[in-house]
Amino acid sequence: MTPVIKLKDVSTVYEGERRPAIKNINLTLEEGELAYIIGPNAAGKTTLLETINGLLSAFKGKVSVFDLDVRKYGREIRCQIGYVPQDFMVNPGEPYTALDVVLMGRYGKIGIIRRSSREDKEKAIKAMRLLGVEELANRPVGKLSGGQQQKIMIARALAKEPRIFLLDEPFSNLDPESRDKVSTLINQIRRENNITTIIVTHDISQISGSCHRIIVMNGGRIIADDEPDKALSMLKKFLPKEYWWSKP
Amino acid sequence: MIWLEYAIFQRAIIGGIIIGLLAGLIGVFVVRMRLSAIGYSMSHSAFAGAALGVAISIDPLLTALVFSAVTALLIGPIADKARLPIDMITSIAFSLNMALAFIFLTLSPQVGLSSEVASVIWGSIVAVTNRDLVYLVILCSVTLALTYLFWKELFAIMFNRRMAEADGINTKPFIYFIIFLIGIVVAFSLKLVGGILVYALLFNPASSALQYLHDMKKIVILSPIIGATSCVTGFFISLIFDIPVGSCIALVSTLIFAFSVILSPKRKKEAKI
Repeated sequence: MTPVIKLKDVSTVYEGERRPAIKNINLTLEEGELAYIIGPNAAGKTTLLETINGLLSAFKGKVSVFDLDVRKYGREIRCQIGYVPQDFMVNPGEPYTALDVVLMGRYGKIGIIRRSSREDKEKAIKAMRLLGVEELANRPVGKLSGGQQQKIMIARALAKEPRIFLLDEPFSNLDPESRDKVSTLINQIRRENNITTIIVTHDISQISGSCHRIIVMNGGRIIADDEPDKALSMLKKFLPKEYWWSKP
Repeated sequence: MIWLEYAIFQRAIIGGIIIGLLAGLIGVFVVRMRLSAIGYSMSHSAFAGAALGVAISIDPLLTALVFSAVTALLIGPIADKARLPIDMITSIAFSLNMALAFIFLTLSPQVGLSSEVASVIWGSIVAVTNRDLVYLVILCSVTLALTYLFWKELFAIMFNRRMAEADGINTKPFIYFIIFLIGIVVAFSLKLVGGILVYALLFNPASSALQYLHDMKKIVILSPIIGATSCVTGFFISLIFDIPVGSCIALVSTLIFAFSVILSPKRKKEAKI
């Protein structure tokens, strides 16, 4: 197996803060691996994802993705990462259609100056079709429901045809039926394309059966990183029960 | 309409149309990228530059351009390096530039509010020269070409800068480029609109266009049209009532904005929902 994501002694501090949001993180993920990060609010889950993709650059230690240093090659690395941010909501008046937003996922890959081709548009439409939101393509994205917008953001990540998925609470606005469908879809695409995937969740019930490992975070540290059964028993030891499936 | 036979008014109208188109286009970036404070600060830095030009008797356009360019090149990097909010830097730059502008105007060798000093403050119909028109046409062509070339990146940054970064777009150079462009457009607009009100031309047409449309591509067409309409209408009102052209343009663009808010089909639809 090839390591795709490697973090060595990584601590990330937000601007104006003294305490690091994540501390001394050591983590390696192999190609095609599916890992869930679980933990209570302010555990450092989102910070960890944004340190991996280089959106947060004020960190100590070393982060490399595809053996490339995130500090030096952040832009190139992000072109290969399908990122779904937590609770990303678009204002109702925003002048962008759902298709615009999905197509934007491909912009980094298309490269500077070049315009998006018919093939790019077809890939965006295909991603929307897979998520069942194709008919929303020409609707203003801000007018869509929370669940529909979340599917649009997932479609944006899929349209990119990434080598890594970083999904931050990607199912938080979906109803249980949609959640299962989307989770199955992501898993299928991950398996077919050998995509290394990290999914952040608050809710143990959202963890897929195909999960290879669970990373438990609390207070900015990884307190367990193991196969699902072992990690979950550790989670129960460290965290009170109300955290297991509480929503933010 | 005998005025229109005079070259001076023809130049002012053509200049006004080009400035309106340019400011209307750049204004969309200003509003959507939340660079309003920067636009405000840049307009006053161009004002300070022009005032210096008047004080030392060199072309105010040249000094306005230098001040704008220097401010534009400094604001972004200073905010990034000093890790200070960009609003804080722009607010300080704004007060500094206003202070400098009024000191320079006081030092002007001309007495009181001479025509040149007044034109820097309030704008002037007679200030647009043939050379200005040539520069404006070049600036307009370059701006349109760059907007066309980098539309994809600008489009994504206007949606959400952080998501654009996450998709692999290096947003910093584009933000700096827009700030620089704001400075240049403001410097060129100064002669017609004046230093105090040039900001209205950057902000009002784009804000008006956003009230009507859901499609960003159409907004970048409508906003320049509103900008040019504001300039030409303001120009005629200024001629008829003999009041400063900058104030007339700002008033017209503000009225268009007010009507846009009242007539906004987007708002009506939202209200019905």
